[in-house]
Amino acid sequence: MERRDFLKLGVLTGATATLASCEKPAQQLVRFIPEEDFVPGIATWKPSLCTVCPAGCGMMVRILDGEAEVVRNGQRGLIKMGLAKKLEGNPKHPVNRGKLCARGQAGLQITYHPDRVRTPLRRSGQRGSGVFHAIGWDEALSEIVVKLQEVRSRQRTNSIRFVTGWVRGQRRELINKFLEGLGAPRALEFEPLDEPVLRRANLLDFGRPVLPSFDFARSNYVICFGADFLGTWNSPVAQSIGYGEMRRGRPGNRGKFVQVEQRMSQTGANADEWVPCSPGTEGLLALGLAHSVVMEKLRRSEQPAGVHNRDWAEPLTTETYSPTEVEKKTGVRASSIERWAREMADHPPAVALIGGAALAHTNGLFSALAVNLLNRTLGSVGTPGGVFFTPGSPAIKVARSLSQNSDFLSQLLSGGFENAEALFLYKANPVFATPPGLRMGEKLTRTPFIVSFSSFIDETSVFADLILPDHSPLESWLDDVPESGTSEAVFTLARPVMRPLHDTRAMPEVVMDIANRLGGEVREALPWKTFEEMLQASYAQLARSQPCNSTQDFDKLWEQILEQGGWRDGNCQLHLPEASASQFRVPEFSAPTFDGNEQEFPFYFQPYVSGAFLDGSVAHLPWMQELPDALSTAMWGTWLEVNPKTAEKLQVRQGDLIRVRSPHGTLEVPAVINPGIAFDVLAMPMGQGHENFGRYGSLRGANPMRILGLSEVREVGALAWAATRVNLSKVGQKGRLVLAAGALSEQGRDLELR
Amino acid sequence: MPQNRSGMPALVLASVTTVILCSCSRPRLGHDEHTFSESQVFTPGHPTVIDAVKEFVGWRATPVQPIAFPHSKHIANGIACNICHIGVDKGAVAGIPSVKLCMGCHEVFATDRPEVKKLTALYNSGLDISWQRVYGFASSAHIKFNHSPHIRAGIDCSRCHGDVGKMTVAVRTVKINMGFCIACHRAKQVSTDCVTCHF
Repeated sequence: MERRDFLKLGVLTGATATLASCEKPAQQLVRFIPEEDFVPGIATWKPSLCTVCPAGCGMMVRILDGEAEVVRNGQRGLIKMGLAKKLEGNPKHPVNRGKLCARGQAGLQITYHPDRVRTPLRRSGQRGSGVFHAIGWDEALSEIVVKLQEVRSRQRTNSIRFVTGWVRGQRRELINKFLEGLGAPRALEFEPLDEPVLRRANLLDFGRPVLPSFDFARSNYVICFGADFLGTWNSPVAQSIGYGEMRRGRPGNRGKFVQVEQRMSQTGANADEWVPCSPGTEGLLALGLAHSVVMEKLRRSEQPAGVHNRDWAEPLTTETYSPTEVEKKTGVRASSIERWAREMADHPPAVALIGGAALAHTNGLFSALAVNLLNRTLGSVGTPGGVFFTPGSPAIKVARSLSQNSDFLSQLLSGGFENAEALFLYKANPVFATPPGLRMGEKLTRTPFIVSFSSFIDETSVFADLILPDHSPLESWLDDVPESGTSEAVFTLARPVMRPLHDTRAMPEVVMDIANRLGGEVREALPWKTFEEMLQASYAQLARSQPCNSTQDFDKLWEQILEQGGWRDGNCQLHLPEASASQFRVPEFSAPTFDGNEQEFPFYFQPYVSGAFLDGSVAHLPWMQELPDALSTAMWGTWLEVNPKTAEKLQVRQGDLIRVRSPHGTLEVPAVINPGIAFDVLAMPMGQGHENFGRYGSLRGANPMRILGLSEVREVGALAWAATRVNLSKVGQKGRLVLAAGALSEQGRDLELR
Repeated sequence: MPQNRSGMPALVLASVTTVILCSCSRPRLGHDEHTFSESQVFTPGHPTVIDAVKEFVGWRATPVQPIAFPHSKHIANGIACNICHIGVDKGAVAGIPSVKLCMGCHEVFATDRPEVKKLTALYNSGLDISWQRVYGFASSAHIKFNHSPHIRAGIDCSRCHGDVGKMTVAVRTVKINMGFCIACHRAKQVSTDCVTCHF
């Protein structure tokens, strides 16, 4: 190289190096002034409430200061704020006592989800196209007010509908007060995980349409029909704690646990005996057991507990419920039925429970009543080791349980929900979680005006005209009265643990704002300025009525409540339902019927509640997408579980793509060979198959609801989602099956499945 | 002298390579900042080779502060270190106060100074000061330094941070490398186990 060139190179390099060393400030984003004070780097724990499933567990949230990228007044920047980092159970909460399940843990991802709706949105495309544009809050609220005023002027406010997911406590009160002020009907609840059949049975037998609680810790024998009570059913954390105490809390005594179901669940895998009875015959089996228990006790000259005469048991002692007859219909050996009855009589307290697919048959009510009767014969109603109801303190005047008459699904099934002028949607996704026969999408397309409070665009909120995004749960005032899972009267109350990240508003405050702008009766119905004010006003009666509180000073009590995340009263008695002879009724036997004839559709189709996604409402959380199914370890999609003998007969191998067809639709999914399933049952997890649920939840797997029929549970009007029959055929190629545990065969050598 | 063209391609190649190697690192937040921006993907990699070399030799640019904050003046007025750096005796992070703390006094004091005017303007527009970090370690060193035990042990701030009382804008006058820490840990007979600091 020439000297000149070398010098040129030198200068060039030097210049560039000099430029390189002049660093621009590393921050390109502006910084907003923090809105709160904190000690840097020191974490605090604040109480909160888990709102992922209806169990209502108390939480503790770890808050640490950190920087979040936010938009304020249209400007992007950083702000230092207290950020939720980790969720745990609240040790003081009597339902979950410091524990928290996987779904609850993943709730943290809701707040930080990249697909969260960050500002109000207005639909700019066709209904359902998903084309929205951002608008301001004032504009959105004005539009709603104008629309409601217009409906009010035509005197059609009785056609306004408000559909919510499970929501208890003051939020439900507020919504219903708003609707009452408008002259609209009460809110309709849509909760696929609810147990309307169990509620009706408890209403008939105990006078309370409430979910039951169980004292497993002191039980010696548990027989469960279909309920995944250690996984997803009712109050799983509370039940798991009780179960743990039953099995390991009393050295030398493990009790006995029998699970009756067609597909082995996470719960069933813990059982000492696992019993697949014919689908829909659980109630008959329960009465067979009751028959044997009564006969056994009579033989031992014992009184079946709690009654003074034996006449009520007469119908039970008939041949219909003898073990031999019951064996014919259920497929469960008579000798086993007699043995279990002896064991239960030998090892009191014994308790029975039923839920899940067992109640999702057309004869579900019969089965639920049968199990209630079995508990009566065992003497386990309202006694230690048995079944009871979580007491409600008389001071808490909030609607606790989901009401029978306001169930959205039964309204849909009975042809209701037509001609709604305006629809409000809060925490409900009926387009995803209902069978296509209900034509939810069509109904929503026909509804003139739809407002959603959803934080995410999903199958239902995509139909909305306006989306008014709610705060995430961690950013909201929350209150709840748990329905089951504890023997104490309790309510949970939590202030927001972090400030809102985005331009969202709390649903209660939005509703109050709308009421205020509308004026008149509806404004008077909601006289508070903030939701916090309403909460204080509603819980103020506590201070005045509770003898167990050391102070009558409401402010002190309020601070105490906020500090511990709620209030509990151990002094309230275990609620003992009155047991009178007239209530001992042997339910009339009713057989299950199925959708689809046996020849064309030889298999029973059983969707099951997924341990990761529940009914699909948390499929958008990546942590839950990464959670394999507890027993099969399958993940990242949907699959069909087939018994190995059935698979062999049909020459179906692990991972083969299968076409499963019902009278109402077809799905194609890979097969998973599962020895823990009855020969004639095919199971599929719920939760995937979203078309519209953000970047993590969409277009993965299949939704079993799509092939369900509209069979109803007799006399209840609930959806019988386990009553569909299907057939299956091979597509002829391998499906995409991912197993966290790997393959069941290695280089052509199958692992032995016994 | 005849122009020798054979050197040209080499020169061009060398210049282009140099420009690429020396290009200013893309604006990014330091590893010790935590955001939820979708554009930030965590990576231990560096944007350029020069950046990697800089971190390896421990060379850090002199930070340019948005406001010429004079430590000397404030300390002379009797303000102790932990009035502003409040976390230093409570936990790991000493912390830098938000503009709210400054305005507590400067709403009234020294309001005629140009830097205080800058400060007030920023505060009034709802923005906080974007202080640039002076002392710190590369995230690849995996050091979790905890201030409070050092304060508890009675070590003065100036031992590691230099005589801040004489500084206007804080500058790095003490070279804090592992040897610096170990020397004192040995002298005071405190743990020199790896996981004391690296975890």
